[in-house]
Amino acid sequence: MSEPTTDRAESAEQRDFLQVTDLHAGYGQARVLQGLDFWVARGEVCAILGPNGAGKTTTLRALCGMVRGRGSITLNGTQLLGRSPEQAARLGVAHVPEGRGTFNELSVEENLRVGAHLRTGVGRRRRAERAAVAADLERIYGYFPKLRQRSRQAAGSLSGGEQQMLAIGRALMLRPSLLLLDEPSLGLAPLVTRELFEIVRAVNEEERTTVVVVEQNAQLALDIAHRAHVLEAGRLVLSGPAAQIREDGQVAEVYLGVSVSARKTG
Amino acid sequence: MSTIIATLGTGRARRLRAALTVLLAAAVAVGAPFYFAPFQVFQLTMVLLYAVALAGLNLLVGFGGQISLGHGAFFAAGAYTAAVMLDRYDTGHLATLPVAAAGCFLLGLGFGVPALRLRGLYLALVTLAFAVFLPPLLKRLEPVTGGSMGLTVDKLQPPAWSGLAEDQWLYLVVLAVTAVALLLARNLLRSRVGRALLAVRDNESAAEVMGVRLSLHKTLAFAWSAMFAGVAGCLYTWVIGFVSPDSFSFVLSITLLAGLVVGGLASLYGPLLGAAFVMYVPSVSQDVSEAAPGVVFGLLIITVMFVAPTGLAGLPGRVRAAVARRLPRRAPTSARTPEAESAPDGEPEPDAESGPESLAESGPGGDPESLAESAPDAEESAAASAPDVSPKSPAASDPSATDTPADLAVADAEPVGAPPRTEKE
Repeated sequence: MSEPTTDRAESAEQRDFLQVTDLHAGYGQARVLQGLDFWVARGEVCAILGPNGAGKTTTLRALCGMVRGRGSITLNGTQLLGRSPEQAARLGVAHVPEGRGTFNELSVEENLRVGAHLRTGVGRRRRAERAAVAADLERIYGYFPKLRQRSRQAAGSLSGGEQQMLAIGRALMLRPSLLLLDEPSLGLAPLVTRELFEIVRAVNEEERTTVVVVEQNAQLALDIAHRAHVLEAGRLVLSGPAAQIREDGQVAEVYLGVSVSARKTG
Repeated sequence: MSTIIATLGTGRARRLRAALTVLLAAAVAVGAPFYFAPFQVFQLTMVLLYAVALAGLNLLVGFGGQISLGHGAFFAAGAYTAAVMLDRYDTGHLATLPVAAAGCFLLGLGFGVPALRLRGLYLALVTLAFAVFLPPLLKRLEPVTGGSMGLTVDKLQPPAWSGLAEDQWLYLVVLAVTAVALLLARNLLRSRVGRALLAVRDNESAAEVMGVRLSLHKTLAFAWSAMFAGVAGCLYTWVIGFVSPDSFSFVLSITLLAGLVVGGLASLYGPLLGAAFVMYVPSVSQDVSEAAPGVVFGLLIITVMFVAPTGLAGLPGRVRAAVARRLPRRAPTSARTPEAESAPDGEPEPDAESGPESLAESGPGGDPESLAESAPDAEESAAASAPDVSPKSPAASDPSATDTPADLAVADAEPVGAPPRTEKE
């Protein structure tokens, strides 16, 4: 079995699982992140919230190696900064990009199998991995029954919600220790989004996969998150347990642009 | 449960039909040289060997999403490898095949490196340069390649026990190699490496975050592709028995690419159709117009691309979709009957299936245009089966309609890549 699984079992409360220190990142001349410090505990769902242009997506991209930066990002003590996305994937970071990024001309099942691309080997190990991948396919189909129904269909013919499910399922095929979700609700109907977030919650609870989710829909994200960080203009303005941030109605209104108190009564 | 059994049944029937088709095709292919005149058999042989080159090009262009205007050069490299081996070292024909294959694989690996930094037109230009500079180079290397006079070598001769004529033997050998090559290409695409290749074509950055090493797979695509071209070139030497720099001008590279596009990119049997096009259309256009066969050839390419933009291989599907679009206009009305609403499983009309989905997706935040785009009957049927709008809708589980191209067409109109709400950082 892959390392992350055993690690996860060892200490569920490990606090320095993901440690981000003084992270600066951006694109060319544009410095988006101006020194971020936060940590994510093993097995928790962490929401990164904030208005447009705050640097949420950039933070995720720095975590998975799509964007280079200065500072330090350690996962289980291993430096992630300076690694390519492919290397980050090898270390157990699975990124579900904004806009899903499914392989539209591949079938649903082939998409999932690409997720297991790294899980290969030679000889006996190869056979064992094959069996494990087959079992994981079943597990993913368990979370997303719709994907099973459409397993032989081209991913491009799926609806937006199904594509998002596929993108998440594909990332889980990597057996990640850290799952990064970038705006999973983007362009989806509220009903579909809610279903999707429930599944993410279930995945987190059953697999103990650590999840970092970037979301514009703060209410939804806070519903499933244990901890939340609010970004503005590339800096952290607020961090804490999700419940506390949800309570802090005034802050939420200022930074998140949502009326949280209205939701509490409703 | 019944639907699962049904799909199993149709799956087996489909497999049986496919097996029968393959058997029939194999019988026709093996029988052909005993039926046709020697010159026609020779033409068929050329179709088969071009198909090998096109299958390789298809791996790179069709499935890999890259481009090469230099495949004629790999073809030439394979042909010259075989010719030089036969001419200078007298190795025997069989030995030339693995050497040509391996040599071109390595050559392709080398050329895959610029492919890492270049794409699109830039890559096309670099590969074209390779195709342009190879013939003069072959002329310069006269001691080895025979210069512009070329090399004449023995064709592959039929063994005495077979009792076959030369053209028949050549045809059967090339047929065998082609069958193996096409099978190899097909299996390659279904393997882990092939999936990675397709993933890179579809979405580079998403493939990378899944741990697919882009550089490796792009270079490998070039190498595999060059290997197929080299094998085709080697067969060419076996069949023609003569190579010269002028046989492999850059026009060959362009003809190969044109043949592939006409045959059908990213289609498994597109290379065969494309090869037939490359082989027969020039001679047909010669018959049509003695003066300007090139004009006729060009016009035919334009016509094919106009009628079948996805290539000849995509034509049957397009025709079926067009017929399906015209014929069952009455199907949406049946969706309005109560039986159809309660049992959407048997609903054959594809629009009815994806209709509710597209509605659900384009809810409040959705793109209103998508509704307008997905044919009017989609809207009707969606309205008819309104209770199915919930995500657990059984309508979504209908597997029977999944293969109809019309279904895909409608689904494409959905806001799949919905525009982001706002610009991101």
